[in-house]
Amino acid sequence: MSERIEGVKKLFTSKSTRVETNRGESYYADLFEKCQARLKELRENGPINRLDFSEVLSENGVDRRDFMKWVSATTAMLMLPPMFSPLVAEAAELMNRAPVIWLELQDCAGNSEALLRSDGPKIDEIVLDIISLEFHETLQAASGFQAEKQLDDAIETFKGKYLLFVEGSIPMGMNGQFGTIGAGAETFYDHLMRVSKDAAAVIAVGSCATFGGVPAASPNPTGAVGVMDVVKGKPIINIPACPANPANMVGVVLHYVLTGQVPELDSLLRPKFAFGYRIHDNCERRAHFDAGEYVEEWGDEGAKNNFCLYKMGCKGPMTFNNCSIVRYNEAVNWPIGVGRGCIGCSEPDFWDKYAYERPMADAKIKAPTGGVEKSVDEFGLGLLTAAGIGIGIHAVASAVAGKKEDGGEA
Amino acid sequence: MIKLIEKIEGEAKLNFSFKDNKIDDVSVDFMSTRHVEDILKGKTPLDALVINPRVCGICGHAHLIATVRALEACYEDIQISNKAKIIRELTLTFELIQNHFKWFYLTIFPFFGVKQEIAKALYPTQLMGKAIAVFGGQYPHTSYAIVGGVVCEVTNMDIIKVQRYIDETTDFFEKNVLSIQNSDLKTLNTLNDLSHVKGDLRDILKKIEQNDWQNLGKSYDRFIAFGESSYFKKGKSIKTRVTQNLAIDDVKETDSTTSFAKSVHYHDQYYEVGPLARAMIGKNPLIKDAHRRYGDSIFTRILARVYEIPQLLEHTKILIESLDLSEPSYIKPEVDISQLNAVGISAVEAARGTLIHKVEIEDLKIKSYEIITPTQWNLCGGHEQNLGVSQKAMIGLDNVKLAEMVFKTFDVCSVCTTH
Repeated sequence: MSERIEGVKKLFTSKSTRVETNRGESYYADLFEKCQARLKELRENGPINRLDFSEVLSENGVDRRDFMKWVSATTAMLMLPPMFSPLVAEAAELMNRAPVIWLELQDCAGNSEALLRSDGPKIDEIVLDIISLEFHETLQAASGFQAEKQLDDAIETFKGKYLLFVEGSIPMGMNGQFGTIGAGAETFYDHLMRVSKDAAAVIAVGSCATFGGVPAASPNPTGAVGVMDVVKGKPIINIPACPANPANMVGVVLHYVLTGQVPELDSLLRPKFAFGYRIHDNCERRAHFDAGEYVEEWGDEGAKNNFCLYKMGCKGPMTFNNCSIVRYNEAVNWPIGVGRGCIGCSEPDFWDKYAYERPMADAKIKAPTGGVEKSVDEFGLGLLTAAGIGIGIHAVASAVAGKKEDGGEA
Repeated sequence: MIKLIEKIEGEAKLNFSFKDNKIDDVSVDFMSTRHVEDILKGKTPLDALVINPRVCGICGHAHLIATVRALEACYEDIQISNKAKIIRELTLTFELIQNHFKWFYLTIFPFFGVKQEIAKALYPTQLMGKAIAVFGGQYPHTSYAIVGGVVCEVTNMDIIKVQRYIDETTDFFEKNVLSIQNSDLKTLNTLNDLSHVKGDLRDILKKIEQNDWQNLGKSYDRFIAFGESSYFKKGKSIKTRVTQNLAIDDVKETDSTTSFAKSVHYHDQYYEVGPLARAMIGKNPLIKDAHRRYGDSIFTRILARVYEIPQLLEHTKILIESLDLSEPSYIKPEVDISQLNAVGISAVEAARGTLIHKVEIEDLKIKSYEIITPTQWNLCGGHEQNLGVSQKAMIGLDNVKLAEMVFKTFDVCSVCTTH
């Protein structure tokens, strides 16, 4: 198994999955027609639950205008041209046609918390409400045997059609006994195998379900692995980060409703619309990086002026995620916003490699080759640090340049 | 028979046995674990600041604050600015408040023939999450506290935002939970004073009375709290007698053969922790009156937890008033933490009660790390001669549904419990 995990990490460095933001007119025209046909079919199928989208929106105090703003932003997030906006709006209204089952395995419930709206922009959350959540251990009122029966019913009714969301890693140590569920003490592994068998696709939410997460941190006492390490023969979509951003969960479901397909993925099976860019590329402190203005020590003048956190160990240049755009808690803030650098929580192994904000030089990460302005898959796990080295040189050079200007010595 | 009790947060398995139509034994088992304490072993001390909030997605902020305080306790002398202390206490308090709301509307409501009020649970939760995000960047799982202070440089604009979130939450509470101005809380001293007050809390209390459940779910009437703050006092209360002398070193854990959760005791005795414990130790008049009438029953326990919300909200306003933004957020410790060979212990009051962290640093690494969570205190099983707090409260009841309700008044946070 460890070989497989290493294999996946190596894959990450392949050059196969560049982000293409413009695929040409004929591609989009064709896709548009397919989406229209898909939505028409869904509409004819009828809803699974009775929630009416526009009613729920108005109950939550969201008017049409807010909704359309969200639609434009989401269309852009999914990397579709503006002509798709009406289809995205329609897909959002038809989200209750996609049955969802949500499993919690070896986790901290943090992603469910995210779903419980501790964070995430408002309309995304409402859209998550609309999804036909057929089974969710945390959110449903039923418990025990009753809950198990509900799960069996949901699998039977929506055989081959439901999206399976998985939160938490799978402990493989001690024959899976580190995590069991239900009165029959079914191991998390058996549980996942049983429920994923009839799923249309499996969506691993959060860093534990994708890469093993904190439970897999060295020495990985429970033998924790991610979904893609054990589930085979199914489309798998990874939405890492700790916690995963609800906007990205919605994006995946919406894409599925809209096209009937999983979104385009990178080699770590992450949707490119969310993980196609680095935190660094869209960081609000990027200008300070370019200007060579850094926080050198917590609480210094740089910190007070929101300078770049790279020298404090920020992993934004080597972390692929859209937090710098989507942010957290209804876009109130995000870690870099309060002056704490990115810890790379959507990258494999962050728990061992990046855990504390060690500056790159102290982080004991193998230095590869490469530069700052590379696209996704030319940056690998190791490669990412290439950026580190490149940036490191820039950081020193720019600091020298900055000093010279300050002191007027040059 | 086995009755599964699931969720709201994580899973616990309750195994009841009956004798003469009454529950005469119940085991409480937690069935999943991650061994976080083993993961911390051998890691750089500061890694704990990133790993520990992830022990729990529900009360992870309490874990962050407990971690940073445990690490700081390794120093003989370390300076933390008042500003940093206050900001940490604010974010921790926000987490408590949102947990209380969620528990009341999602966990407690369904037991009283009322549907879960998801919208009511989530609205204040969202506001409090945003308030934490202003200081901490995100919620859950922020790591904004560092040894020596906090990273955020707060502006007046941030303060205005946070004040608005507090006001909106207060507003929500007054309109929905208890129809009394928070500023008039001092006029509530007895249960009779509650009679003219309306709201969801009042409705639930009435339902308890209508069902004649006021005396349900009593345990040892023994309470403990180790976390101290500008609001909470440490101490223990045994049948209303409160003493402040506590030795945190005497808190011990014992392994269980059937469950991944260890049980926790103080001088070989089990104690209840949480809002009711805090109110008894802090001698809150209203809660003391409820206790005088109904003892440590579900009535008093539910009232104590929900009634903590407005008091904490009022306290956050006072804390914000006392913030001096010109103080430093961070004061660099004279020695780097990795240079220390020392043991540090901390205790904080999390939503469900006392959370204890203990770290031992040696040769630049964490040598050992021990985490004792509130749910361990309340829900872990003992044995026949020495029953755990929740076991004691459930035994003698005549049906599983009631037992489940009693169990959930303590609130299950199982991911945290087994860590």
